[in-house]
This record gives sequence, structure tokens and C-alpha cells, in this order.
Amino acid sequence: MPFLKKYLLPRIVQYLVVILIGATLIFFVPRLMPVDPVQQTLEKITIQGAFLDPDAIEQMRATLQDLYGLKGGLGAQYLTFWKRLFKGDFGPSFAQFPTPVMTLIKTSLPWTLGLLVTSTLLSWLLGNILGGLAAYYHERKWASVLESIAMVMRPIHYYIVALGLLMLLGYAIPLFPISGGFSIGRKFILTWDVMLDILKHALLPALSLVIVGTCTWFMTMRLLVSNLMAEDYIVYAQVAGVPDGEIAFKYAIRNALLPQVTGLALSLGQIFGGALITETVFAYPGLGTLLYSSINAGDYNLMMGITLLSVIAIATGVLIMDLVYPLLDPRIRYD
Amino acid sequence: MKRVTRHVGTLLLLLSLILIASSIAFAQIGPDIPREETLIVDILSGRIPNPKRFNAWAPGTNNDAGIQQCMLDPLWCVEYAQGEILNVLAKSPPIYNEDHTQMKVELREGIYWSDGVQFTADDVVFTVEKLKVNPGMNYSAEFDLGVEKVYKTDDYTVVFELKNPNTRFHTYFLDRWGCCRIMAKHVWEDVEDPMTFDAYPPVSIGQYVLKEVDPGGYWFLWERREDWERTAVGQMYGKSRPKYVLFHYYGPPEKKVMAQARHELDMCDLTMETLQASLDRPDFRTYRRDYPWIVNIDPCITGITLNTAREPFDNRDVRWALVLCMDIVDVMAMAFDGAGAMGALHVPPTPVYLDWYYTPMEGWLHEFALDIEIDGKPFKPYDPGASQRLADYAKGRGYAVPDDPAQVREIFGYGWWKYAPEVAGKLLERNGYTKDKSGKWLMPDGKPWKITLTSNANPSHPGYKNVFAVAQQWRRFGIEIEVATSEQAGTLSTYGQVEASNNWPAYEPWGGHPDLHRTLRMWHSKYVKPIGEVAVGHHSRWSHPELDAIIDEMEKIGFDDPKLMELGMEGLKVAAREMPSIPTFSYPGVVGWDETYWTNYPGAENPYQQPYQHWPNFKFMLPFLEPTGKK
Repeated sequence: MPFLKKYLLPRIVQYLVVILIGATLIFFVPRLMPVDPVQQTLEKITIQGAFLDPDAIEQMRATLQDLYGLKGGLGAQYLTFWKRLFKGDFGPSFAQFPTPVMTLIKTSLPWTLGLLVTSTLLSWLLGNILGGLAAYYHERKWASVLESIAMVMRPIHYYIVALGLLMLLGYAIPLFPISGGFSIGRKFILTWDVMLDILKHALLPALSLVIVGTCTWFMTMRLLVSNLMAEDYIVYAQVAGVPDGEIAFKYAIRNALLPQVTGLALSLGQIFGGALITETVFAYPGLGTLLYSSINAGDYNLMMGITLLSVIAIATGVLIMDLVYPLLDPRIRYD
Repeated sequence: MKRVTRHVGTLLLLLSLILIASSIAFAQIGPDIPREETLIVDILSGRIPNPKRFNAWAPGTNNDAGIQQCMLDPLWCVEYAQGEILNVLAKSPPIYNEDHTQMKVELREGIYWSDGVQFTADDVVFTVEKLKVNPGMNYSAEFDLGVEKVYKTDDYTVVFELKNPNTRFHTYFLDRWGCCRIMAKHVWEDVEDPMTFDAYPPVSIGQYVLKEVDPGGYWFLWERREDWERTAVGQMYGKSRPKYVLFHYYGPPEKKVMAQARHELDMCDLTMETLQASLDRPDFRTYRRDYPWIVNIDPCITGITLNTAREPFDNRDVRWALVLCMDIVDVMAMAFDGAGAMGALHVPPTPVYLDWYYTPMEGWLHEFALDIEIDGKPFKPYDPGASQRLADYAKGRGYAVPDDPAQVREIFGYGWWKYAPEVAGKLLERNGYTKDKSGKWLMPDGKPWKITLTSNANPSHPGYKNVFAVAQQWRRFGIEIEVATSEQAGTLSTYGQVEASNNWPAYEPWGGHPDLHRTLRMWHSKYVKPIGEVAVGHHSRWSHPELDAIIDEMEKIGFDDPKLMELGMEGLKVAAREMPSIPTFSYPGVVGWDETYWTNYPGAENPYQQPYQHWPNFKFMLPFLEPTGKK
């Protein structure tokens, strides 16, 4: 009971408050932008040549404002937003009117999840294991080589890495397709062939993310384990003749893991914002380009839909981490 | 430790195996889609987030991944390379009654939808009636305001009864990268909510039907219909040569260069930088095979729009001073390495507009004088030698430029306004402007003259390049210039929250017809709104009684009345004299074509058609492309 009262309940309340504040900010901030979604729609129709009568434009503007739900004060719109939200509805996308925001998200989300969950987990595992080992065996040559690679790669902007990989493995040595989620002309039916095809198309974008991600996790883990190397329990274990591998994994890496697990939770939460640069460079479907285009088009509902998803995911990730800390670190107790 | 090394080694081996495995079978076209029968083209709008939506009559639908090029046809279409209006689903131009309150349309016979149903007048009547009663749908407001009644007199004749006389009602059906296209009645008649209807899978009236679509929204594959001859394009030009047309968005321009180098993209839009990076490839070509490479027939002119609702741009002397302190050769050199055709008038200097307006107005341009005297004579600002100076600049850069003055004029334009900073200074001084010790201009109230130039945030857009080039000229003249780039530049300009911007200096004309009502109308005083309200007219928020009278006169006469050009020239004279915005050069379209699988693109040496894959007219190009035979 004390756990429920003193720990779980306050954290759940905190969780709900974070989501409430996040949703409110997400509602108001886009409306402060100098962008008019109705005007964006009208410009989309006219910008490249179609002729709309200026008299008719005024009538259409009023109709679209009504259809978009932008008539009335901010208070009324805010109430409608919450009413919709409780039904799991973000309303229609303005830029793709009247397609529901949820439909657009559902189309892009599987691609984002497939690519980013895999690459985030893989780079986290690789980075932490290699970083921990490189710190523990810092006197070995291979550790210096790994450290040098990570030090060089980490500061390079992701766009450069992605484009470089694409030029190398998509153009100079054309091993990979340079765009898309699966081959042209294929029917999107879940068969082994299609799954393999999807995997092949995801390899290069995933590789770029894994390389950069691994280097980042590597550097932090290496630093964390280096700080532990002088701790008494490590020195004692070495003196006691505990095998090196056991000390490295069970004594050093495990003890350094806590902040990395928090980092992983945040990274997994951020996945719902998509990977804009990856999607752009590799022409890979996902939420990143969807979010970017919604910002440009002043598509409030789509912006809110994607960012709220991200807020909920991050808040949930942090809540789960808070709850599972005792399992990872026996020193933490909630009673 | 050995175990660790072994694990790392295994991991590396696995990665290598994945790499090797992934090298197998990476053809971008599926096994049933032969590359040599497929034309692959770029999607201008980019990724389409809702790829299974083919409702072209709802406001959010993207049309340039095949809807307007392969699936739908208009009644009429603007063709700006040759300067004509094509009868597409209509078999003849519109027929108006004497007072323009009735329009009759005669339809082409023998046209069928892709599901085998015949196209008739019922489809046209249904389209107009359906849209009219569904507010928010495209053209709903236009039909609500303009159409009293629409009916058929037989299966191939439609009559529109209009609420008010309208000499240009048919232009709602005239395709110029968009218009009201025709719905298939048998598909739509039972649809309860036309706004939410996706129209998927689409029924096509063009020569192609949708074969497959990428659920991620990056590609759309269209296949030629078996009954291609039962389409308007089939009747007009015959069979389209590619069996498949693949619309494919590869991403940013550098990706398009890669895709073209792999021969996986035949037609695309590029930037000047990526075009130059591709020039060495033997199978690559541009619109013009040699410098300046760019498309010079795009019916759109770049420039600077001044917000005349704000001081000091409400002063004509100030506006002209800003023109005369610019050296157009420097501007074009900096913006586009000189690749473009300069235009002094508010109409693009494309070959057809050169014939229709620039040539007949050359005499006026030479004689036109500002109301200021220099050395005791009225100052004549036109500089016919500017295009030769630009040609000389290009030669200096090492580019091959023809010596023939006629060719130089065709490539670089007829001329522009003189670079005369001393005259610009006099225009300002007579309005109370002064210079400080450092040569900076001070406003009449003694404060430094600062201008914020607002631009979109796309560095490869001609408008973006233009704005920085103009800013440099104005700074050199002694004005403090700040360039503000924003993704929302369009909205800011719409509400008048800018001083000067790179919005088009004039509304785009038809391109394939000399009528300038479309352009000039946007300056009518009834559309000028105060700052803070949406500009439904031109963003310069300028009007002039003389121009109002010209526009009103235009509206009384028919679309093909010979007097239209005369009125158009009078309108252009008023715009040039008052200079509410500064035209600079024609929109330099940058296209890249790969000739590995297809040739006979409509380049400068044979401009049988407009050259872009994203225009609806693309459908008229397809019967003329030639396969190279490469497998």
C-alpha cells in the first residue's frame, strides 16, 4: 500500500499532468505561428496556375474555415479538441482534407516503428556493449580503434553520414536501392517475399541510424564505465581473480546501465516524431516527413496528432522506467 | 576476452553477409514491369501522405502524381510552348451568346471511361451540379456564384445559363496546372459525401489507369489502357509510347541526380547546381542542350513585389528609384549565373509573349520617359542593350553563347531598365531623401532607410536566389537591407505583413493565350484590401483608376476579341509606368532528362509541347516520346 500511495499514485498523477500540459501547449503553440491553414489550402490550389475567381475565393475561405473547425474563439476550439481527443480522434487533416489525422498517422506509423524501434534498440545494445568493453579493456588495441572510430563519427552531422552512405552503397557501389520502402510494382501484401523486400529497403536507412546511434551510446557508456573502473568493488573483483568478462558485464556494464536505460526510454518515446532526415535522404515513408509537411501547411490537427503521440510515448516511457528501476538497481526501493 | 573478440567477429561477418545478400535483385522496377517500356518521372509535390486518394475535386488532393497527367482530362488545355488552347474533351472552343450569359460546349464523341462507360454531356452536367451544392469542394463557390442552370441539349452538347454576363466562364474548365475537370457520373452519382469519397481505385478518362501505388506515397505506377484510342489524347495524337508511366519521388535534388545516373529516373526538376553536376553524363540532357540550359517558356515571371500599402512604397518615385539602382546583369549573374530571359514588363518574356507583347511594345518601351529631366531631357529608362551585356557576361564565364543578336534576344530577353543610380538618387532627393556621410540613404524624417525583403525558405527557388541578388544591389546603392526567410512567407505576404517580397511581381498569365485579364484583374481596386486583411488580389495591394477602366473594358469583350491585346498593352503600360512590383526575369525552369531509354523530349530545338512532367499537358507529350530500344 505505501508503494501505491507514496510512489505509484503521485507518478500517475504527474504522468497525466504532463500529458495535459503537453496537449494544451500543442493546441496553442501552432496557433501562434504566422500561418493560416485556409490560406495555405487556397494557395495550394492557385499557386501553380489554376484560376480561382477572387470573389469566389472569399466564399470558399469562409466555407473552409467552417469545415476546418476554425470558426469561433480559441476557447470553443480548445473544448472541441478535448472532446475529440477523448474519442481518440484528432479531427481531419487540413492539408489532406478531409482525411482523418488518424488515417494518415496509421499509414506512416508502421514504417517509423519498424525502422526506428529496430535501429534504436540495435544501436543501444551495440553502443553499450562495445562502449563498456572498450572502457574496461581500454589498454587493448581494438578498444583504441573502436574509440577512435566513435570519436570521429559522432560529431559528423547525421545528414552527411546518411548521404555519404547513400553515395557509397547506393551509387558508387550500387548494393542498395536508393529510395522507398519496398519495390515498385509489388502488391503490398504481407508475404515472405514482401517482408524480405521491405527489409532490404530498410537496411541502408537502418545502417545509417545504427552507425550514428551506436557511436553516441558507445561514447557515453565508455565514459560511464571508465568512471567505475577505480571503484573498490571492481578492483576487489580483479584482485579476487573473478574472470574479466564477468567483471566487465556483471560489475561494470550493469552498474553503468541505469542512465543509459533512461536514455533508451526517452529515445524510444522520441520515435513517434519520426526521423525527418532519414526519411528525406532515403525517401523512406514515416512520420517525420508527415510532421514536417504539416508544419509548413499549418495543418494544426496533424501537427497535434503526431506531437501528442510523441508526448504520450515519452511520458509513458519515463513512467515505465520509474517503475522498473528497482528491478535494474536493487539499491532503489519504494517503500 | 577471446570470446568477446569472437562475438565481434561474428557480428561483422553477419553484417557483411547482409550486405552481400542485399546486392541481389535490386532493380527498381518490378519483374513484370520492363524498364524499356516505362517512363519514370519525378513528383513535384513530393511524397503524397494519402496515396490512395484520387478525389481531384476536394481541396486537399495532390494532383501531380498522375491524376492530372494520366487519369483526368479537361475540356480545354493551355499549351504555352506553341501558344494555343487545345480542345481536349470539348471538340471546339466555347460558344457564347451575344451578351455572354450563356455558354455552349460541344463535346468530343467516342470517348470512354476506363471501365467502359461512354463519356457524355451527362458527366459534365453532373459535375457542375454536384460541385455547386457541395460547399468546400473545388469550384463550388464559382459555380454557386456564376451558374444559374446547366443542362444538355443532346449527348454531346452542354449549355450553361449564367447568372451574370461572363466572357471568361469557360476558363474554369481551361487547364493550366489545374481547372475543374470532369467527374464520371456513374461513379459519383451514388456517393453520399463527395468530400470524403476517395475515388479509389480510380476510373480514368485518360490513356492510363492506375496499376499500383506505394502505400508510403513515394510512387504511383500507371499502365496504358488497352482501349487507348477511345480517349481524347488517342484521338488527338495517337497512342502514348510508354506502356507504363511511373511517378516516383526520390527526395532532394541530389537524390534525383543519383537516380538519373543509375538510369532510374527519366524526367525531373533539378536545381541549377545539380544540373551543372549532371552535365558531364553522356545520356543527360537539359531543355536547351547548351548554356543557359534552362526552360525559357515557363509562363511566369520572377521579381520583387512591393507592398504599396506601406510607406514609402506608396510613392512611385521611390519604386522607380529601386528599379534604377539595380543592374539586371548583376542580378541575373548572381541569382542564376545569367541563365534566364530578362523581362521589363509584367508579363513573362517567353517566345509567345515576346511576339504578342514585347515586340509590338518595343517602340513604346524605347520612347517611354519618366517625369524627371536629366541634362534637360526627359529620362528614358529602357535599356535595349541589357540582354547583350548579359550575353557578354556569359561569354566571359566561358559559356558558348550565340553571336546572332536575334538569338541573344530570344535567349536572354529583349532588354530591361537602365542601371542609373544617379537618376534613382535624384528621384529620391526630390522626395526629401538625403544621404549621410557614409553614403547611406536617410528617409525624409532623417532616419536611416531600412527595407526588409521577405522570401520563402527554399534556397534553390528562383525567388529565393533573386531576393539575395536584389538585396545586394540595393545595399550597394546605400539602403540598409535585411533579408527575412520564412516557410510562411506566403501567408505573411497575404496579410500584408511584409515590406517587399519575392512573390511573383504579376499574377501568372494564361501562357498559351494573349488575354491578360487574368494577370491585370488582380490589380483591380475592388480587390485591394488593407493590411491585416487577406489579399485576394495581387499582393502589391496596388490599383490605378486607368487600369480599372482597362480591366472593366476587357470584361465586356470576348476571350478571342482582337481588341484584347490592345487593352493588354495599355494595361502593361500603366503597370510599367507605376511599377507596383519589379519584374526581373522569366522563371528559369531547370529540368533534367535522361536519354538512356527515351528520347525526343520537347527541348528548345523542337518545342512541340511544354516540357514539364508535372503539368497536365504531359499527357500530350507521351505519344511523341521515342524509345531508344535499350533493354
